[in-house]
Amino acid sequence: MTNLAVTKLNKNFGGNQVLKDVSFRVEGAELVGLIGPNGAGKTTLTNVLDGAIKPNSGTVYLNGERIDQLQPFEVARAGLGRTFQVTRSFRRMTVIDNLMVPGLALDHGMSARQLREKGHEVLEFLTMEHLRNDLAQSLSGGQQKLLELGRLLMLDPDIIILDEPFAGVHPRLMKIIYSYIERVNDEGKAIILISHQMDSIFSLCKRLLVLNYGDLIADGPPEEVRNDPKVIEAYLGIDEEEEHYTGVEGGETSEATS
Amino acid sequence: MSRQHIPYYVGALILVFLLAFPFVYTANDYPFIMHLLITGFFYAILTASWSMLAGYAGQFSFGHMGFMAVGAYTAALFSHYLHISPEATNLCTEYAFGDKWLVISNPVGVTSSTLTQDCLTQAKAAWDGKVVVENMPVWLSILLGAIMGAVFGFLIGILVLPLRAAYLALFTLGFSEILRATISAEIDITRGQAGIELPTLFQNGITLFGQHYDKTHKLPPYYVMLGLLLLCLGILAWIAHSRFGLFIRALREDQDAAAALGVNTTRYKVLVFVITSTMAATAGGVFGHYVGIITPNNLVILQMSLVVAMAVIGGIENFVAAAIGAIILEFTLEMLRNSFEIGPITIDMTIWRLVAFGIILMLVLRFRRNGILSPLIEHFTRGHVAKETVAKRMAAAGDAEEGAS
Repeated sequence: MTNLAVTKLNKNFGGNQVLKDVSFRVEGAELVGLIGPNGAGKTTLTNVLDGAIKPNSGTVYLNGERIDQLQPFEVARAGLGRTFQVTRSFRRMTVIDNLMVPGLALDHGMSARQLREKGHEVLEFLTMEHLRNDLAQSLSGGQQKLLELGRLLMLDPDIIILDEPFAGVHPRLMKIIYSYIERVNDEGKAIILISHQMDSIFSLCKRLLVLNYGDLIADGPPEEVRNDPKVIEAYLGIDEEEEHYTGVEGGETSEATS
Repeated sequence: MSRQHIPYYVGALILVFLLAFPFVYTANDYPFIMHLLITGFFYAILTASWSMLAGYAGQFSFGHMGFMAVGAYTAALFSHYLHISPEATNLCTEYAFGDKWLVISNPVGVTSSTLTQDCLTQAKAAWDGKVVVENMPVWLSILLGAIMGAVFGFLIGILVLPLRAAYLALFTLGFSEILRATISAEIDITRGQAGIELPTLFQNGITLFGQHYDKTHKLPPYYVMLGLLLLCLGILAWIAHSRFGLFIRALREDQDAAAALGVNTTRYKVLVFVITSTMAATAGGVFGHYVGIITPNNLVILQMSLVVAMAVIGGIENFVAAAIGAIILEFTLEMLRNSFEIGPITIDMTIWRLVAFGIILMLVLRFRRNGILSPLIEHFTRGHVAKETVAKRMAAAGDAEEGAS
């Protein structure tokens, strides 16, 4: 069972403290939403969790293994996968080769042929099988998001961090991403979902983490978080005009905070 | 014969032609043409290996001629200073092994007959030809050059780990220039700009198929260099189609994303430097023994630019195209040396050929960014993919229409 334990994580860049004593746990096949205004530290937290940035203090354990001092490839092999806020497909490689990279990087005990077959299955699920030999750079922005998600299916981690998977995606592809999240969650994987689209967050997640200026100001069920005065202040304190867009009150779509 | 196999058949034909050429070509300019081809193969190894480093792995290094020089100078210094003698000189540093002596000559820099000679030369003069001193085996000096190339490739690979794009290019350019300056400055050891001599590849000649070829004949080095080129292309092809090739292409595209997907980017970045620098160093060692001398001019920036230009014109992301481009360009550049006259004006092609070369390079960069040969090869090998994709797209669109109606 997945067990991610983050304890008193601190990170500063120069004098700017981006993460302040952040602690939380993710256990089992949880689907956790991570929200917060711009500059709250969500992406920094993701980068610390995946090993791209080393924390100044604090620990991260994944399934009992300490991962906060590991290199990103070691973290991936330990079972933590992520997507990027701005899509980072291997643009001048074919779609199927994009999928083969994580497949071959991890020793799943599968042959290249078996991995290729798995890649085709993943592409069929993502409705992209007909694009398998296209170069990734020829895909639309939404398809590139799907490709990133497909690479994670090939990586087969225990916990997945999805950074803004819905941003700029066509509604038809949104449905595929929804079914992707449900499928991955049903397979027993934990998911941390970062998004500014509150309707998606509130409909998918059973638990929300709220970051504000590096502080974890709330951790609980969506209904509880929605009514948390600190959360309301964090969002409403940004700009009065954004009040009705933030959706913290009503659970509506928020583009204003993105 | 399917379309995608055409490049392989053409490649096989070229290979047969190159293998047969030394036996079927009989014109008076045989040594010159053979020399051009050997030099072309040398540049093809450098260009193909650089294409793997820069085109496949995205490590735009300007240190490739530096690695070549590491191999050539290692071979040269080894051959120049170490010898095997049946008798002790009692002048040099020497170690007995078996019934022979390993003699280490002392560095005296650039000398003439009137100046101080090194200890071995003095010993030979005293022996008056009665004792025959042997050079070290050529294969061993080339092997040592290759190993030293790998060591330098490893060190540079480690040092450039955090560097990308222009910073990496400048760092490797710095390495190459420092190496050149050091070789030029250490006259006592390297003989500086005068260059250091190496024994020829086959000092006693060689007999092939019952025919003896003396040490100056071009045929044996032709097959050695061609063999090395084929070996390098074979290794590069294996790499390109292995998981290693997949990972270094991912490294080129996005190092952070590759790492996040479990690829040990450090290992593959260093490894690709080691492999390609070993190839460059081996080519340097063989070429040094073929030409018989290596000078610091072999690693001036112009030489590196030539390798880059050959790869760009052939196709930087296809090492076979880059190698073929290098041979064709080496041939063309030499053929264009012949000056000609237009009325009263004499066109000095020794200068103008480089202008023509520069213009071709600029046109390719502007209009054919993946070279001239590489798209041609891809046209055949990936043509079926495009057709298949279009068919699948149309089928998908047809299904969608049916579903809608």
